[in-house]
Amino acid sequence: MVARDKPALKACRNLEEDLVLYYYGELNESARSNCEAHLKICETCRASLAEMRSLLPMTAAHDEPAQAFWDDYSREMRRKLDAVAERETWWRRIVGLAAPFPVPALATGAVLLLTLTLTLGKGLWQSSTSAPDDEALIEVLPMAEQLDFFSDMEILDNLDLLETLGGQGNGTV
Amino acid sequence: MAAIAAVQIGDEELVASAQKGDRRAFEELVERHQQKAYRIAFDFARDREEAKDLSQEAFLKAFTHIGRFDGRSGFYTWFYRILVNVCLDYRRRAKRAPAEEYNETVERQVEPSHVPANPVSPDQHAIAGQLSRRVGAALELLPAKQRMAFILKNHQGLSIREIAETMETAEGTVKVHLHRAVTALRQSLAEFA
Repeated sequence: MVARDKPALKACRNLEEDLVLYYYGELNESARSNCEAHLKICETCRASLAEMRSLLPMTAAHDEPAQAFWDDYSREMRRKLDAVAERETWWRRIVGLAAPFPVPALATGAVLLLTLTLTLGKGLWQSSTSAPDDEALIEVLPMAEQLDFFSDMEILDNLDLLETLGGQGNGTV
Repeated sequence: MAAIAAVQIGDEELVASAQKGDRRAFEELVERHQQKAYRIAFDFARDREEAKDLSQEAFLKAFTHIGRFDGRSGFYTWFYRILVNVCLDYRRRAKRAPAEEYNETVERQVEPSHVPANPVSPDQHAIAGQLSRRVGAALELLPAKQRMAFILKNHQGLSIREIAETMETAEGTVKVHLHRAVTALRQSLAEFA
């Protein structure tokens, strides 16, 4: 066997799929006869079939683990089965306890669920309502600073007036 | 004596016992089918640990759902359907995960079936290694369903009807998958023919 660059052999287009099935022995009687009749006269299809026969068996990978592997496999499998069985037992125990009283059990479950929702949800609601307050405060603070700024500006604009008034005041005193 | 009794009991009886909660009966089913299950998973994953995990996952699913098995098909068919789905799911999960380089340790585990057990020349060994890598890479490139149809036919020798049953699809679809898989593999491996 030598690895070399060459394209795969192409069978006749109308026989391509049947040739694969012929190789695997999956054609019915009449299709097989047709295929064999064609193979007798078509060298390309014969070569294509020969290529499949040499190539496809090579693709199977064989892995034969040692007995130790299977011992581990069985041990691990039993452990995993134990875990699954344990989980199922735990669940069945709960269902089994509730089974004789389906309506009270369902009602208790619903009440528990409601209690949990209200208890846990309350914290969430509170934290979610406090957030907008914080946001509002963040928005209000700069506005307050701006108002201070504008009131300072107003005083500055009226400075002349204040000086005049002050001057007059001085003159009268 | 117990071993003889176990050999005589059919899968159906073991399933019936397992459905009644007999763990030992299910473990016997595992013992019976674990090697075949492992080989299918290995053909699919081409990695020993992955193959072990996949086949065990399939057994655990079978164990959990054994109550749903209605006996219309054999346990073998039912179980292999689960195994095939686990393998296809694995492929989907692996696709989502970042692609890994083809593992050299896998290469060491995978020996092409035609490679003789006798001592081989360094050249032959190199070509066998090259072929093994190319086969792995070519199989890896196949869409999951084509790959599964090919593995079940080429490696496991199942009939088209059995494959269709296992993959829960039409026989015509299996034929198309098989044809496409063979065509793609031949193109990838033509240089070794």
